[in-house]
Amino acid sequence: MKKIVHESAKYHVTGEAVYIDDMLVNEQCLHGVLYTSPIAHGKIKSYDLSAAKALSGIHAILTYKDIPGHNQMGPIFHDEVVLAEDKVEFIGQAIFLIAAENEEIAEEAKRLIKIEFEELEPVLTIEKSMELGNLIQPPRKIETGNIEEAFKSAKNIIEDILYVGGQEHWYLETQTALCFPGEGQEIKVYSSTQNPSEIQAIVSEVLGISKMQVEVDMRRMGGGFGGKESEANHIAAWTAILAVNTKRPVKMRFFRDEDQKITGKRHRFLLKYKAAFDNDGIISAIDVEQSTDAGWATDLTMSILERAMMHAENSYYIPNMRIIGNAWRTNLPSNTAYRGFGGPQGMAGMETIIDRIARKLKIDAAEIRFRNFMGMEERNTTPYGQKVENNRLFMLWEQIRKTSDYQNRRKKVDEFNAKNEFVKRGLALTPIKFGISFTTSFLNQAGALVHVYNDGTVLVSHGGTEMGQGLNTKIKQVAALEFGIDYDKVRVNSTNTARVPNTSPTAASSGTDMNGMAVKNAVDILKSRISEFIAKKFNIENADSKSKIENIVFENDTVFDIQNTNRRISFKDAVSASYLGRVSLSSTGFYKTPGVHFDRAKGTGNPFFYFAFGMSVSEIELDVLTGRTKFLRADILHDVGESINPDIDKGQVEGAFIQGVGWVTTEEMKYDGKGNLLNHSPDTYKIPSIQDIPEIFNVNLLQNAPNPNTIRRSKAVGEPPFMLAFSTWLAIKDAISAVTNHEIEPEFRIPATNENILLAIEKIKRF
Amino acid sequence: MSKNENIVKFMLDNKVVEIDFEKDNISPTTTVLKYLRKTPEHKGVKEGCGEGDCGACTVVIADYDSHSKLHYKAYTSCLIFLPSIHGKQIITVEGVGSSDNMHPVQSALVETDGSQCGYCTPGFTMSMFALYKEYQKPSKDVILDALTGNLCRCTGYRPIIEAAEKSCVRNGKDHFSDNENATVETLKKIRKEIPSVKIETKKQKYFLPATVKEALELKMKYPKAIIINGGTDVALRVTKKKELLSEIIDLTGILELKYAKDEQNQMVFGSGICLEDVRVIVKNEFSALYDMLSIFGSKQVRNRATFGGSLGSASPIGDTAPVLMAYDAILVLESLQGTREIQSREFVTGYRQTQMKENELIVAVKIPKIDKSEIVKSYKISKRKDLDISTVSSGFRLKKSAKNIVEEICLVYGGMAATTSRSKQAEAFLLGKEWTRENIEKAMKLVDEDFTPISDARSGAEARKIMARNLLLKFYNDSICN
Repeated sequence: MKKIVHESAKYHVTGEAVYIDDMLVNEQCLHGVLYTSPIAHGKIKSYDLSAAKALSGIHAILTYKDIPGHNQMGPIFHDEVVLAEDKVEFIGQAIFLIAAENEEIAEEAKRLIKIEFEELEPVLTIEKSMELGNLIQPPRKIETGNIEEAFKSAKNIIEDILYVGGQEHWYLETQTALCFPGEGQEIKVYSSTQNPSEIQAIVSEVLGISKMQVEVDMRRMGGGFGGKESEANHIAAWTAILAVNTKRPVKMRFFRDEDQKITGKRHRFLLKYKAAFDNDGIISAIDVEQSTDAGWATDLTMSILERAMMHAENSYYIPNMRIIGNAWRTNLPSNTAYRGFGGPQGMAGMETIIDRIARKLKIDAAEIRFRNFMGMEERNTTPYGQKVENNRLFMLWEQIRKTSDYQNRRKKVDEFNAKNEFVKRGLALTPIKFGISFTTSFLNQAGALVHVYNDGTVLVSHGGTEMGQGLNTKIKQVAALEFGIDYDKVRVNSTNTARVPNTSPTAASSGTDMNGMAVKNAVDILKSRISEFIAKKFNIENADSKSKIENIVFENDTVFDIQNTNRRISFKDAVSASYLGRVSLSSTGFYKTPGVHFDRAKGTGNPFFYFAFGMSVSEIELDVLTGRTKFLRADILHDVGESINPDIDKGQVEGAFIQGVGWVTTEEMKYDGKGNLLNHSPDTYKIPSIQDIPEIFNVNLLQNAPNPNTIRRSKAVGEPPFMLAFSTWLAIKDAISAVTNHEIEPEFRIPATNENILLAIEKIKRF
Repeated sequence: MSKNENIVKFMLDNKVVEIDFEKDNISPTTTVLKYLRKTPEHKGVKEGCGEGDCGACTVVIADYDSHSKLHYKAYTSCLIFLPSIHGKQIITVEGVGSSDNMHPVQSALVETDGSQCGYCTPGFTMSMFALYKEYQKPSKDVILDALTGNLCRCTGYRPIIEAAEKSCVRNGKDHFSDNENATVETLKKIRKEIPSVKIETKKQKYFLPATVKEALELKMKYPKAIIINGGTDVALRVTKKKELLSEIIDLTGILELKYAKDEQNQMVFGSGICLEDVRVIVKNEFSALYDMLSIFGSKQVRNRATFGGSLGSASPIGDTAPVLMAYDAILVLESLQGTREIQSREFVTGYRQTQMKENELIVAVKIPKIDKSEIVKSYKISKRKDLDISTVSSGFRLKKSAKNIVEEICLVYGGMAATTSRSKQAEAFLLGKEWTRENIEKAMKLVDEDFTPISDARSGAEARKIMARNLLLKFYNDSICN
């Protein structure tokens, strides 16, 4: 296969790629900023904007009263105000909007605003919220088998709590929006968003206008990772309100600290688990209660919690399992989508259970995993009742154990640890099974619009958004392959709600699966129209035998009759002739994922079209005295079906894995007693640097495992490899545990920062 | 008022640019990043954090050395005020290459899939371009070090390393190579024409003196002026706290402060030599300092940061102070009245307080060479190994007799108190005792008693105490392994 690089790569490396903040706007464009709450919980007693409004260069200072439509921007549940009215519920909540001629004036205006609050006690932890019974929505449950019976007859039971930390997205491009008011009610919105249709919906709602007035456009994001699935709504809504009020273009872009303080993050979880297993480590029952910190508003929390619950068993067959999900309200920013969407948090509990069983039974953890894997023909039903088909776990297991030399290295690690007091090594192998499809079934639809121009070039629009994942590259490949034309004859346009309406977010790893299929559908329609015309043309030119429409083939920039291969015409000429023959050369395309459904009340169904699988082995070295870990080696084998673009897929696997490593190691959020986030800049919030990747880094895609019924037999890849980082996390735990020769279960959590590692070591040493 | 008042001149890629701060109504504390992004032609440079921690705004500044040879160094443009680049060549990603005429580092990044979302990519391109110009076939360690200051959230970095390995193989030859002589001549001409910069706008005064004498005179006249000797800390007051700094004396243009001298018993460093240059120089003589500087900030930060700035700011967690105190370094302060020397161990008097007087500047740091029988080590514990501020740092020094008796001991800690401090009780206990694990474990308890650290964003107090104790044990372990 010919290597195809990211379609924007040459613009990325030269700085020519245009992000919203790079768009050339004239000096009439105003600078929008927020005035936000400095307290986590309280009532607004009074405020005075007069001095700030009087400042030269200030064009608007707006309150909720100035919102023309609804003061509401919750994407699913309508519990999120655009601007605070009489109360504030987290530090960073927007109260006023400011439009100024430049940043300095806007900052000056902020200093002149006077406001008084009556402070109320904030709720800052899951535990506190539980104590107060502050559920944000009713609880959810998934249950299978009979756990009570299974626990009664259990040989071994473990029971504990696991803290799973949140994560800041840290997309390089902070949240940005730029709005141009037009004539009448028209408004054009440029938004760095994963979800243009929702931006359109929210903007129309806050402005009190219909969707046909709002055009949302986006070329690319400087990273998304879920952080621009619903969080981009806010800045777009604020900017739109200012633009309509001032009748000027307005741009808003967050400074990094502001972005980190205000926007939602990966949900932190508190997992309470109890597991029953026999002396071989075979698990008979698990009871798990997942409690998550929703933040101040619901946002996507319930869908995220649902996915956490659906991944509580990870790759293992658990005959009796009960999963309770609770989402708790706190006075913190509303947590949101982040790569894996609850899956990682759910799996963390399962992987901890396996790890503890192994330590308790003194059997290698990889072996315990293997014994509990979902089966091929039996023992292959998830707790929500979906059968796992095309199970790749055993293929992966066989291959990665060999390529990583797992067994030998296990021995070497143990030998090393026996000889060294202050340096310990750890090794772990972990699997992932990740369900592909939106669990909210109606979202599993996509649209496309394909134009063929009469010079033989093709312009593709689709509902997906490019955030670096290479979606547009793959879409370009799909269109070129389906038309049988040169890759460079296709261009993918910006994503625009005026070209493709009513789209779903580019999320749940589904971008290529769904939009690729929608594009294929449009191409198929166009090909059949062109085929019909060209068959006719061939038949006029050749009287001897008839060319049938179904025999017309598109290949190598040519359209020909497969039965009479001398009847051929270049794609360009075929298109040009079709145009002259008055054939429509533009078509929409549509796709809906077949057969997915889920009954929330019962907690059963087939929510996923298929599963993606992967496996990884990590080895780390721990400095027992400083808590520093060195990443010696990682081996990854990941299942992407038949890859449309192996280099791009490998990039997704590596990037997701390292992002996962960040989550389980150095990325930590701490709050003070008032609800201030302490780690609000890269100074104290540490994502992995180039020095933190494994010294030996072997990443491979599983071969010969085509995925039936998807676009070009490929598989989704955006999120699943994130969870391969559990091997790194548990390798660290393995090294800590080696300090007391694996006799004592160390206290462990996500993230395993040097602080948490040192505290754990200190504790087991004192044990 | 002379005709060059308020004027700064530099080369932007291959063009000479002149800025009149008064006439053009530009604040002299405008960062290079902000300035570039306001021009329609330079939107490639990105703001990722505004504090020098992500590298998205990396540019290369070319400057000539005493042999008139141009050197290309990477800097984070969010930490540099515009007047600081007077008389230098600033190279942007647009100057390096365009999509129809890519530089070797750019085409390598394309071929290895080194970009995904692309927002960090111009910054990586620039760090890699500096590497390309200065190194032939760099080792993996050199590559990693050159790119540590650039964060990428998408790729996992592996393809970026591959791009550097592939591209940095042409002895730095590229389209800049042919113009180097002309560039040096242009820069020399600018500096001859305007040797020192004076900017006085309605709200701000900014001086870029060319000599120490000039600087001292300014300090006399403006005793409250903020001193920039690298400015990687001061710049944050503008980018993050949005302060208007009214008086600034920027020492980065003073060539006579940028030196290193190897004398018989000591090495002397001008307070303006950048820490990256110091790092290279001290590798053999002062290995503990080398170790600390190797994990100090990033290359972009070390290219800018100096001893003068690092010590002058008297931060309780500054990375250089503990190790310099362990080496018993001496600071040389100068005023118009003359010079005086102060022990580094005495220099800091309180939280961000020093013995320095208002009319004084730090002009040099002297580091005495150590006896072969002595051991000096530095340690830094931070959440992330590189480009992170210390949670706890330390500089330790030990002299023991042939009979393994402690003759001298100095245990300096950063991050444990309001100032960099010695563990007095542990030192007193160990002095005259045998250097054994047993005694170390007793001393560890005294380290614990000596400090009452705080909890903050980096770590809780309890872990800080464990770290401080453990570092003593680590020092012991390293001392017996040597």
